[in-house]
Amino acid sequence: MRKNLFYFGLAAAFAATTLTSCENQDLTDVNENATRVEVGYLTPEMLKVRDYVPPMAVMAHRGSTFWAPEETEAAWRWAREMGADYLESDLQCSKDGVVLANHDDNLKRTTNIENLYGEDVPRDRINFYMSPQGGGMTKEQAEAQMAKDRASFNPFYTNQYFYFELARLDAGTWFNQTSIEQALPGFSTQHQYVSSLEDQIRFAEGKILRRYTPELLAELENYSGNAVYYDKILGERVYSVTGVWDPANPHTCLTYNYEYEADPEDTGNRPGIYIEFKESWLNPSNFEEMVYNELDRLGWNIITKPEADNAPFYKDGKVNVANTNGKVVLQTFSFESLRRSAEKFEGKIPMCFLLWHDNITPEQYAGYINMGLEFKAHIIGPCIAGAPNNYFEMNAPWMHDMIRRSGMLNHPYSFDTMEQMNIYWGSYHYDSGHFKAPYMDGAFTNRTELTLQFLIDRGARGEGAPTFVPDPVETLKRLGY
Amino acid sequence: MKKIFLLPAFAALAMTAMAQDFDTNPVVKIENQEEELQFTVGARMMADVAYYHSDFTPLKSGAALSDARIRTSMTYKDWYFYADFDFSKGKFKQKNIFMQYSFGDEANKQAVKAGYYNDAASMARNTSLGSYHFISRPAPANALQAGRQLGVTYKYRNDKFFANQGVFAENLYNDQLDGFQGVTVSGRWLYSPIKNSRETFHIGLNARYANICTGENVGDVLQTKIHMSSPLETYVDGNTEFLNTDILWAKNVVNAGAEFLYHNDKFFARGEYMFKYIDKKRDDETLFKNQLGTLWSWGSLESWQNGNPLRNNMFHGAYVEAGYKIFGNAYRYNEADGLLAGLNGKSLEVVARYSYTGLNDIVDGAYYFEAQDKYIDNGILADYPAASTCVSGGNLHAATVGINYSFNKFVQVMLDYTYSHLDRDQYKYDKNFHAVQARLMFSF
Repeated sequence: MRKNLFYFGLAAAFAATTLTSCENQDLTDVNENATRVEVGYLTPEMLKVRDYVPPMAVMAHRGSTFWAPEETEAAWRWAREMGADYLESDLQCSKDGVVLANHDDNLKRTTNIENLYGEDVPRDRINFYMSPQGGGMTKEQAEAQMAKDRASFNPFYTNQYFYFELARLDAGTWFNQTSIEQALPGFSTQHQYVSSLEDQIRFAEGKILRRYTPELLAELENYSGNAVYYDKILGERVYSVTGVWDPANPHTCLTYNYEYEADPEDTGNRPGIYIEFKESWLNPSNFEEMVYNELDRLGWNIITKPEADNAPFYKDGKVNVANTNGKVVLQTFSFESLRRSAEKFEGKIPMCFLLWHDNITPEQYAGYINMGLEFKAHIIGPCIAGAPNNYFEMNAPWMHDMIRRSGMLNHPYSFDTMEQMNIYWGSYHYDSGHFKAPYMDGAFTNRTELTLQFLIDRGARGEGAPTFVPDPVETLKRLGY
Repeated sequence: MKKIFLLPAFAALAMTAMAQDFDTNPVVKIENQEEELQFTVGARMMADVAYYHSDFTPLKSGAALSDARIRTSMTYKDWYFYADFDFSKGKFKQKNIFMQYSFGDEANKQAVKAGYYNDAASMARNTSLGSYHFISRPAPANALQAGRQLGVTYKYRNDKFFANQGVFAENLYNDQLDGFQGVTVSGRWLYSPIKNSRETFHIGLNARYANICTGENVGDVLQTKIHMSSPLETYVDGNTEFLNTDILWAKNVVNAGAEFLYHNDKFFARGEYMFKYIDKKRDDETLFKNQLGTLWSWGSLESWQNGNPLRNNMFHGAYVEAGYKIFGNAYRYNEADGLLAGLNGKSLEVVARYSYTGLNDIVDGAYYFEAQDKYIDNGILADYPAASTCVSGGNLHAATVGINYSFNKFVQVMLDYTYSHLDRDQYKYDKNFHAVQARLMFSF
């Protein structure tokens, strides 16, 4: 009897184990796992800096990629007038140390560089080398220098050209050729430049480039100062350069003095700038320090020149971010730049860590967030899915929830359609109960007008923010394009 | 020709060489006395059921037929031929197939063995799972020691010493993608200060050297690789994702180990320590030349080597096992192979094991980037760091307690509980695994 009981017990245990395993079978649930992985939390100091950024901020991605040639005077003036909170840009560096804006790793798509310079060192450079500013070389010395330049030349990368060479590029006409329905004559007739960081800041301040007029050209005919004015041609931008070219100190030997004037079409919006450090190989190893110093020089470094803590993001129905401590937000995909930014800016300026990763798991996502926290980022910038870019999905509800758990802000990129706005606003989740919508704390957008209107309609813009979104085309026309 | 078909009752006749246990001696025998031939047929089946609980990544609880074999052997005078085939999980797998010639006198027994069978340099891997006192072998043996190989060995034993050494080929079917086969030499040497019918104590050393020659042609460079892995001491969910690594460019692989085994009638204890050293070799010059020709090319061989450093690796593992027999026949020693035999007849025992498997070889100060499962050896976060030399296959501590009951010499049930603790950066949230598993096994 005891033996039979023993055998029965064994069989029962065998069956029970099997049944139990079926009853509680454990499937991988990404939503559940997302709540189980560990993410850190911003320190009180970092939280304070995070709050420099306005809630549900709208970042005009490259000014606009839809309505105007990106990262130009036209695109940023338009974005400012439309009421974006930030003018977004991608920072690179010229051969002579000018911090400038260009998205791609080269200039082929967005300028006429292939036609103007081909794959060779700009031929006119030899005249610069023979000029006093270029070092006053003899013809032989200049030819030798040109040969040296050619030996290490990689065409179309910004860091291969002096800024005065880049300023000769046309950054507007390509847009009219590729975006036929959005083309406007002014993008070609008004020379659109490869913008410097200073240009971007001055546009945010309500200024425009000063361009040569007949009067100014006449006035400068008798100029005898040390500064050299390049390309003194009617309608071109006015800038001068001081200093003498020194290959040993390429980034500091020349000083560019750009000239601006009040934008007659400025209606008072003062957006901030949201500037990206591009891939580390594109720029000098001290690029973050160069940007730090440039912001300092331009009065936009809140570490050295803070704004009042209580400065409002919106004032008198206008964007006022440029007059707050949130006036500059840094961003990068680059791990190296993230580390160097942490070292240089010490988390005292808002920093966004941009993400790009296919088929990501909660563990990996937490890895990015924790890495961002470790290197003093305040914001995560995940890509979003959907046409027309069809990026990876990095802003699913569980991903947003993890960002929020870390105390960081979520600034997804880049919105092009109302459909995308609805998805990440949570319009289609119908109280699923999993994660709280909206799944964003701001938006990089190529369609500032759509994003602003969407947020205004849902009462999601900050107190005192503009409640009217101008017509995008009429605005461009008003601005003279 | 006179044939006699002998039923299991004749099994006793075969016990002259060693005690019958669950794996060593098929009991269905056909004898041809005229030709002095003895042919045996046997079978073995193991059905496992397991329930797992883990911190994060679920393991698949359930049941599985983890072993199903047909075993055959033929004995002719001093010649012995053996073959067994596994068809568990619906797949045919070739297992052992070898011949052995025995010679020498009673005091100095010798044998030459050739064919496909377990590498000599291991106690755990040479102990048949049917004779094992746990549901699985210890993870370090799976990960660090070699399994079956094609080769030839010479074995010598007397009252005090046991020596088994041989030469093996790298690949069973010579079906490697590229390259000639490499050669392995390995051996296991034991000294037994105590050996009698009641108790045995042996200590021993083993060593193995493998010259890795097979690989894959990658740009006219033969890329060699060795793979190390183990399941979490279970077979129902036998995946090896938690404990595994591939080592590229392995060229000279040295295994060294030490072991002990003690048993008396009621108690046994045994253990092994394992060390594995992997020396690497790579055709840097060809690889450097292959990458030339683009903007992204390394400019010099030295810079390429700095960006793609190569470092030899070392790994360790160990286990210790013990058992206590509550009732049943005494524990027995398999002198022919220097191993502990399995349960013998109606028995009940309790067992325990601790094992450690070390497949991590991480550079001090390296920065681990969880999101992309990458290491930066110098610890400085960068976009294009030098290729990491870190190996993160996982360190595993596992502890098992179990109880085994054999109804008779053919049928046995086993019940194990195993706790495993994993240390692997890639599986940050998978620290603790619990497995309750049971096995029904018959063998004849």
